[in-house]
Amino acid sequence: MDNIAGSKSSLTWVVHISVVLLVALWLFPTVGLLVSSFRTADQIATGGWWKAMLPAEQNQTFRATDPDDEGAQSRDGDLYVIEGNVFEGAAVGEISVWGTSSREISAYQAGETADLGDGEMLTVQANGDYRLTSPTEMSGRGQRIFTTAVTPPDFTTQNYKDVLFTEGSGGGMAKAFFNTLTVTIPATIIPILIAAFAAYALAWMDFPGRALLIAAVVALLVVPLQLALIPLLRFHNEIGIGKGYVGVWLAHTGFGLPLAIYLLRNYMVGLPRDIIENARVDGASDFQIFVKIILPLSFPALASFAIFQFLWTWNDLLVALVFLIDSSGETTVMTKQIVELLGTRGGNWEILATAAFISIAVPLAVFFMMQKYLVRGLLAGSVK
Amino acid sequence: MKKTLMASVAAFALASPAFAAGHLAFAEGEGEFNWDSYKAWAESAPDLSGQQLTIFGPWLTPEDGYFSNMLAYFNEATGAEAVYTGSDSFEQQIIIDAEAGSAPNIAVFPQPGLASGMAGDGFLSPLPEGTADWTRDNYAAGQSWVDLGTYADADGNDNMYGFFFNVNLKSIVWYSPENFEDAGYEVPESMEDLKALTQQIAADGETPWCIGLGSGAATGWPATDWVEDMMLRTQEPGVYDEWVANTIPFTDERVLAAIDEFGWFARNDDYVAGGAAAVASTDFRDSPKGMFTSPPQCYMHRQASFASAFFPEDVVVGEDADFFYLPGFAEKDLGSPVLGAGTLLGITNPSDAADAFMTFLQTPFANEIMMAQTGFLTPHKGVNLAAYNNDTLRKQGEILLGATTFRFDASDLMPAAVGQGSFWTGMVDYTGGKSAADVAAAIQTSWDAAK
Repeated sequence: MDNIAGSKSSLTWVVHISVVLLVALWLFPTVGLLVSSFRTADQIATGGWWKAMLPAEQNQTFRATDPDDEGAQSRDGDLYVIEGNVFEGAAVGEISVWGTSSREISAYQAGETADLGDGEMLTVQANGDYRLTSPTEMSGRGQRIFTTAVTPPDFTTQNYKDVLFTEGSGGGMAKAFFNTLTVTIPATIIPILIAAFAAYALAWMDFPGRALLIAAVVALLVVPLQLALIPLLRFHNEIGIGKGYVGVWLAHTGFGLPLAIYLLRNYMVGLPRDIIENARVDGASDFQIFVKIILPLSFPALASFAIFQFLWTWNDLLVALVFLIDSSGETTVMTKQIVELLGTRGGNWEILATAAFISIAVPLAVFFMMQKYLVRGLLAGSVK
Repeated sequence: MKKTLMASVAAFALASPAFAAGHLAFAEGEGEFNWDSYKAWAESAPDLSGQQLTIFGPWLTPEDGYFSNMLAYFNEATGAEAVYTGSDSFEQQIIIDAEAGSAPNIAVFPQPGLASGMAGDGFLSPLPEGTADWTRDNYAAGQSWVDLGTYADADGNDNMYGFFFNVNLKSIVWYSPENFEDAGYEVPESMEDLKALTQQIAADGETPWCIGLGSGAATGWPATDWVEDMMLRTQEPGVYDEWVANTIPFTDERVLAAIDEFGWFARNDDYVAGGAAAVASTDFRDSPKGMFTSPPQCYMHRQASFASAFFPEDVVVGEDADFFYLPGFAEKDLGSPVLGAGTLLGITNPSDAADAFMTFLQTPFANEIMMAQTGFLTPHKGVNLAAYNNDTLRKQGEILLGATTFRFDASDLMPAAVGQGSFWTGMVDYTGGKSAADVAAAIQTSWDAAK
């Protein structure tokens, strides 16, 4: 029975389980990042994000109102009294035990009264209300209260406000966003324009040395771009473009071209020879063949390369730092803005998590809009 | 109390973007500033209207905003347009820019090694004449600052290229005064006391120290500071200098002794939060937070003056957290040595504005503006200490001015392969259980290779 065509193989379950596991494996860090982006730096430092979603027992330190504050102490008969709630301005919890010394943080049950010496008495209720009484006027700093309480999950959107609205040395995130677009869009279109012509010539026009040229393009694919940073920048300075948008477009174009030409040539070479020969017989010139036949047929390959190039220039920091961002502070891109927000010593994890989600938004939108081309285009040039 | 604090923090957070835009943060005549020095300088300053001055450095948020506020006063006085930009990969980028010929006017170097290398390649221009004499006369331990900023140029001639601005103090131990009070501990006056206190805290069943060496690719550097401090407390400053210059090998027994002094604290499971095994894996930015948890994970944390940036948000420096000077051994008569580091400014693309700015930094006013805003310390003897933002900074400033011996962070002065390489990794190996002799031998081998 198992071998009847059309019935499901028992291995299907293995496949399904592996798929679920792989998806979970990929999503797990992303979910962690998302949860972390809604937590404060102190929360991230003290507990893992997986604990953030459930109420947890926490040891916290609060401070009673400073006795020196105006109106902090009221009179009740002979006693000076300070009253308040420890959770003021923080997530409300249910206190089980508390203490007044860092050495004994669980000395008292909720509702019990502690003798602090010199006649000072402190009572802390389970809901966080405290009452500090003294026969004489109190002074010094506010009394520390150490509590052990079950607190509900506590999330904040402050990180997103910080990332979106803080002004760095080069202006805010909005400016960086438009600067990034100014870099990315031409840096995607220019290489496609050039590469499409080159790919057609290398695929369908006969001229001496064509094979050598193709080999040279393939060879360029393996040259790391870091090698070209200093010579290229020096060249830009000598011809007078210096650091700026033109420079960064040129650099992105140059670094993107080998892959673009290679990808498009391999795709175009796979188009049916008959169509092109028919067109030639009908008297079409090379340019007409390119515009009217090759380009429309190559659309999936063009689109998939556009996505690659867009994502790469969008996420790029290195090329922008070298060729665009000068010390005038006028030019900045989102990646640079995010690095700046991380702070001088790079410890602001909450900013990193938040920035990751903000900068991912545009690439995600591009990806979903052009996804069908990407899937088709991934096969570009692979089958001849 | 807490509420007003939160309110002022919030107000500050709201106000700082306006600062960052480079407005005059303090109105004339206000605050503890030496306005006379500013006015006198402004009158004699050249007219630089329309001139651009670009400054490039490693400071990012929030230090870049503070620095820009200081620049605003320079711009106001001269009409120049000084702009600061920061980058986290400053060290790589400044070299690319200088090589390609698009260097900024002034670069802010985080340590002298890089500046010295660039001076040797001919990328730095000497500072305005008289800067060396001025530094010698006006900075505490002036000669050592001049020496640290003087390098050989491409032809081998010595010039002063680096002017130190913004110094940080390394020889300090942070603690929570209230936790000390709860437990009845006293601030130690000598290294012997500090060790006794460490033993006492451990005997009480608590953990004395938080030590974290983690720092991404730079993991291990906090331990090099420990060893340098121990070196200054066990040996004469001359020995320290010989060690930095490698005229005595890393495997010298005096160096090994200093490493083992650090090991006394860091390699004992009872003395460090999380046990000795956690030392190398704990991030140095997270490590100080252990002092403020409930109950405290540790009582003391040795880290430079900038450590306060990593305290939890609600900790008030000076009240919830304080520091004491890492004391020397009472039995050794070595005075009060101070270990520090600092950023230095060098001229990478000379212009009139760059020269003028370097003289502006010599005014007490320029230092005071920085002191009032942030964790900025200066060895300038002419500043008004009242300008410091808080008492903690003021105390640090006093330690800096009162130092009998000031020594710069050794790892910043050693060749990069050692000071930013094998010394770091060696200390990680050491806390992991390797012997000091083995670690030192490996470091010395890499130093020989770097020569």
